[in-house]
Amino acid sequence: MAVGPSTRSWAITFADPVPYLEGVRIQEAIHAARLADAIPDTVLLLEHRPVITLGRRGRDQFLLSSRAALTERGVDLFTSSRGGDVTYHGPGQWVLYPILKLGGSEASSRGYLHHLEEVAIRTAGSFGVTAYRREGMNGAWTDAGKLSAIGFHIKRWVTLHGLSFNVRSGLDGFRHIVGCGLVGEKVVSLEEVVPGDPKPGMGEVGMALLNAFSGVMGRCLDVYPWQAGDLPEVLAQIRRPQSS
Amino acid sequence: MESPRNLRYTNTHEWVKGTKELKVGITEFAQEQLGELTFVELPAVGDSFAAQEEVGVVESVKAASDFYAPVSGTISAVNEELQDRPELINSDPYGEGWIFKITPDDEAELDQLMNADEYEEILPQDD
Repeated sequence: MAVGPSTRSWAITFADPVPYLEGVRIQEAIHAARLADAIPDTVLLLEHRPVITLGRRGRDQFLLSSRAALTERGVDLFTSSRGGDVTYHGPGQWVLYPILKLGGSEASSRGYLHHLEEVAIRTAGSFGVTAYRREGMNGAWTDAGKLSAIGFHIKRWVTLHGLSFNVRSGLDGFRHIVGCGLVGEKVVSLEEVVPGDPKPGMGEVGMALLNAFSGVMGRCLDVYPWQAGDLPEVLAQIRRPQSS
Repeated sequence: MESPRNLRYTNTHEWVKGTKELKVGITEFAQEQLGELTFVELPAVGDSFAAQEEVGVVESVKAASDFYAPVSGTISAVNEELQDRPELINSDPYGEGWIFKITPDDEAELDQLMNADEYEEILPQDD
């Protein structure tokens, strides 16, 4: 299936929540393949198993629960190579990890960060929710709180990590942190702010994220489910559990 | 954006000044992509690096980006001022925002770098 205009890129969708470190392994393998020009720009769309991650300088004063308490609740804790402060990922939240060679239109004057924010804002907009940027506070916000968080890493000018977008209410893990180190700011999910019923499902919101990404970045996406039998060979090799 | 004509450039957006001891920073384009910088992880004086090896990291509110050795060599100085004022890279990337100095193992490696015209070719064309 293909979505959107011009430059061809790949999108990989994951049906089941991905453990955080497995997500990192896949991203790094795709990053290496992208650097080597073995694959086009690729974006991953996935949910994580419950995890709290710290930005690379890991300011854990924004962690409200002890590591032991988190482990007891089945929440992992890792330090990530991305920028930004502490955040939570878990089922009910989409994570979008674009692995892009910066240098094309996505890196024009207002920059990649601006484009990522735009993806979240347009996705919210497609469900009738007004989201916006706040000066000096990256991400996408609604009047009720923060809907989408952003943190990325640029390694050899190819991006890693990206944005998270809260879909379902009751994303319990946020209780354990001060999201992005922002004291007194609320986190919301699309379900809590979308007008009317029925609320959009995860699949619908995931597709809207890919559509927004395609529009904002000017990409035509070839979408591959991670478990698909016809995954391109490069990706199939990354999918295989390491034997060595 | 105009890149200073007297500098040489890498494809990872570092600029390089000099020949015997090279002064290195990141370009106007690079700092603009990252936004206001909040932290710089500097190498240690005396550390040796191969060309294109990761030397340190600059971090903004949401982004972390590595920077690289333009040639093989040994770090001879770092801009300590950046510890307290990383934003100097934003306000004056080619001047007060320099990041480190490196003494090349082999000056011939400098020939691999781009001049300003060549560097501008790899930048996105703004509309």
